[in-house]
Amino acid sequence: MAAIRSIASARSLSALRRAPVVAFRRGYAEAASNEALKVSLVLPHQPLYNSSDAVQVNISAASGDMGILANHVPSVEPLKAGVIEIIEQSGTKKWFASGGFATVHPNNTLTINAIEAAPLDDFALEAVRQNLAEVQKVLAGNASEHEKVEARVELDVYEALQHALSK
Amino acid sequence: MSSAWRTHITFNKYSQIAARAVRNSLKESERVKAEKRGLTALRYQKWEDGKGGEQVWLNPPEESKGGQKVV
Repeated sequence: MAAIRSIASARSLSALRRAPVVAFRRGYAEAASNEALKVSLVLPHQPLYNSSDAVQVNISAASGDMGILANHVPSVEPLKAGVIEIIEQSGTKKWFASGGFATVHPNNTLTINAIEAAPLDDFALEAVRQNLAEVQKVLAGNASEHEKVEARVELDVYEALQHALSK
Repeated sequence: MSSAWRTHITFNKYSQIAARAVRNSLKESERVKAEKRGLTALRYQKWEDGKGGEQVWLNPPEESKGGQKVV
């Protein structure tokens, strides 16, 4: 479900700022202006990627998958484990991140901070399947409630990973 | 709901678990490098009346790794 959340709420605001006389209309052409989205993807231990000409960035936010275009309304989105996809004119790059925050700044910049992330090629599907089976065993067994909560968090991660890798 | 953990664990703990799960899914060579990042080494002690109390490990190190190393 890739609901592309547009900049509906920014419509009135930026229209006001830029052209107070012109009617309150803002089409896609303005939203996708020539100005490209600047994106940075960083981990606590290393910067992963920096882009200054992104067309669109797809993230899996806690509230659902979303795509971010240029001139998006400033916002902060917590991430759940999932794929981060940066689409540029020259191609598309994908990572899988464990979680973190995506922040859209007012100057057309998107910064994504993740705890742990890696390119999809770095993952072993076999390891994911094995971990998934182990976690399901914990959930089916008579582990404590606390252990099961942790196992459920891991289950979400492994399922998202398996889904991302098997595409 | 995916946020069912909220009643049991903190966000920090949640992101720690999710990050560990991601690291465990990496290919062997990458995983060895990544696993070191998951370690937190911290020892603390409480000082009272000019005397240091007992040193407590936040996460007790595993014996096999020479955990008694004093820094």
